[in-house]
Amino acid sequence: MTQVLATTVVVASLYALLAAGYVLVYRATRVLNLAQGDMMTLGGYFLFLVAAAVPGQPALSVATAAALSALAGFVIYRLLMRPMAGHPIFAAVLVTITLGILLRAAIVLVYTDRIRHPLPLLGLANPPRRLPGGAVVSTFDLLTVAVAATLFVGLFAFLRLSPLGIQMRAAGEKPLLAAQRGINFQLLFALSWALAGFAGALAGILYANNVRLDPSLGVLGLKAFAVALVGGLDSLGGVIPGALIVAAVEVLSVRYGDPLLADVSPFLCLLAMLLVRPWGLFGTREELERV
Amino acid sequence: MARPALMLLAALLGVTATVTPALAQYRIGMSAAITGPASSTYAPTYEAYKVYFKRVNDAGGINGQKVEIIYEDDRGEPQRAAANAKKLAEGSILMVNASTSATYKPFMTESETEKLPLLFGGGVCPREAFPPASPLIFCSTSFGSKWDSRFALGFIKEQAAGKKVKVGFAAQDIPLSRIELEFAEQLAKEMGLEPIPVVVVPGNTPDFTPFAQKLKDAGADWVLSWALWHVEVGVFEALHRIGWQGSYLLYGHQQTQDELSRLKAGNLYAFGGNTLFMENLPIHAEIANLVKGQTTHPAHYMAEGWVSAMVLEAGLKKCGWPCPKDKLATALASVSVDTRGLRGGPIEWTPDNHYRKSTYYKVYRWDPSKSVTAPVGGWTRLEIK
Repeated sequence: MTQVLATTVVVASLYALLAAGYVLVYRATRVLNLAQGDMMTLGGYFLFLVAAAVPGQPALSVATAAALSALAGFVIYRLLMRPMAGHPIFAAVLVTITLGILLRAAIVLVYTDRIRHPLPLLGLANPPRRLPGGAVVSTFDLLTVAVAATLFVGLFAFLRLSPLGIQMRAAGEKPLLAAQRGINFQLLFALSWALAGFAGALAGILYANNVRLDPSLGVLGLKAFAVALVGGLDSLGGVIPGALIVAAVEVLSVRYGDPLLADVSPFLCLLAMLLVRPWGLFGTREELERV
Repeated sequence: MARPALMLLAALLGVTATVTPALAQYRIGMSAAITGPASSTYAPTYEAYKVYFKRVNDAGGINGQKVEIIYEDDRGEPQRAAANAKKLAEGSILMVNASTSATYKPFMTESETEKLPLLFGGGVCPREAFPPASPLIFCSTSFGSKWDSRFALGFIKEQAAGKKVKVGFAAQDIPLSRIELEFAEQLAKEMGLEPIPVVVVPGNTPDFTPFAQKLKDAGADWVLSWALWHVEVGVFEALHRIGWQGSYLLYGHQQTQDELSRLKAGNLYAFGGNTLFMENLPIHAEIANLVKGQTTHPAHYMAEGWVSAMVLEAGLKKCGWPCPKDKLATALASVSVDTRGLRGGPIEWTPDNHYRKSTYYKVYRWDPSKSVTAPVGGWTRLEIK
């Protein structure tokens, strides 16, 4: 049972990192960024790129890859999403779908479809760690949990305490009022995309070191999308219970039910949530109407 | 880098690429999963064909005629495969499929309708290639359903040396993998092993640990996996992580050589029909020289496609000129190809057997005492009846 619990927390942490990207972009811009999974993959490949260029420098490689991903999020906003201002949200969502396809194709073009493992390039190992109660997880599993916790604490602090974070919340919650107060929307939107790129990159970097790196990883983004909707698409706090619920159902279905249910369980959770509380656990009814 | 990148770009954009001499005579159509989730297994076959037949054409072709190959990317998707099959059947004397089993049906239907020989070179061999073979279906791929399980379980039994062992099975959520390992589960019982029910793993699971835990809790001494590489190795790594002490046998796809060195695990065994390039045979050096700068995958990924191309070349030689499709089917049904060490023996087809008269398997593992990947014994020959 402790192993089930440990695995649930690890999977939930990965989903939470990814789902944070959906929520950050949606809260600020009302756009569903369906390329978030591919931004995760991009982060993993940035790590591979840097680690191959400067092997044996894990801190430098991770920091550079995360920074490049945040920059990529910023550039995506400036080049693709900003020109969509004034167009229907639907069109912007289609742009994100196209962006995902293009990112995948570009990665295959440069790196082919071969499975990569950046860990040896970083000069790191991923030994198993025994937890109290007998559960065993990998070192990068523990790092995933720690990074997710740190990111969420950091994001909550940023949104509540920093002037920029407060402006971001204001722009998301009362856009008209925020505009009348002279808030720089373009900067905030760009920042939300950069943060989404950063969060996705953290997921990609951790997953690439823990499991593998290949161009198809973006499919995990779909499961994280279910997490974001279960938690409430406009609620960063909702991501945590959403991720725990989805991960628990997934892990328990493998352990005690049919392993094949693992693939569909996030969407069963989503379906159940849509039937019972369509705006998600901590989302708001008003946001549903906007969707 | 530029040339392979351009080839790949063309494939990504769905552009038909050809190795095309102006006076092409033998016209072959090939559909492969050049991109898409399964491409890491199948794209190297496409690349091997391109390099192989470029060399053939540069040397004057076969029987004085050039070989024109039309390549189409099906991404491993049946809808695309259906469109490709229609397109490639027009004017071709043979179609080659190097893709997932999901693409087989439209190709076999087209082959039957057009009375066109169909060569599977890279994907698992369909039952129509085994005795009694369909007159139009041929297969050069090293892995073949049921025979792989027969060999694998025999190997496990031999390693167990008379001890009663529990064998677990890690399948992927694709029909072929499940069917094969369900067959293996039955066979294990008949062979006196103690099978554990097959654990089916979704290909895109974020964490293999729950599946590994299931196998560990069931008390598996050995686990056999026959799936796409990332699933095979993902379950092994999760088992290793949670402290499982048993032995793991998986089918060795093209990634084997790299991955055994990466994992450095003495309890991980990879079996397959191709010699690993770390054995440094003359044919390996020859392939490495030819593909340099021409492919996006390294030379040791080329074995599967290379053997398939060798068989096709032999068939075309035997067919002579002119070579209509019915004559080519007859010629292929009696080829005997020396694989020059890429496999354990020749590929020999008969009118009744389009898989091969004998199939050969070899097992490799990381030897911790010598810190190298090494074969575990020699070739094992199984006679196909």
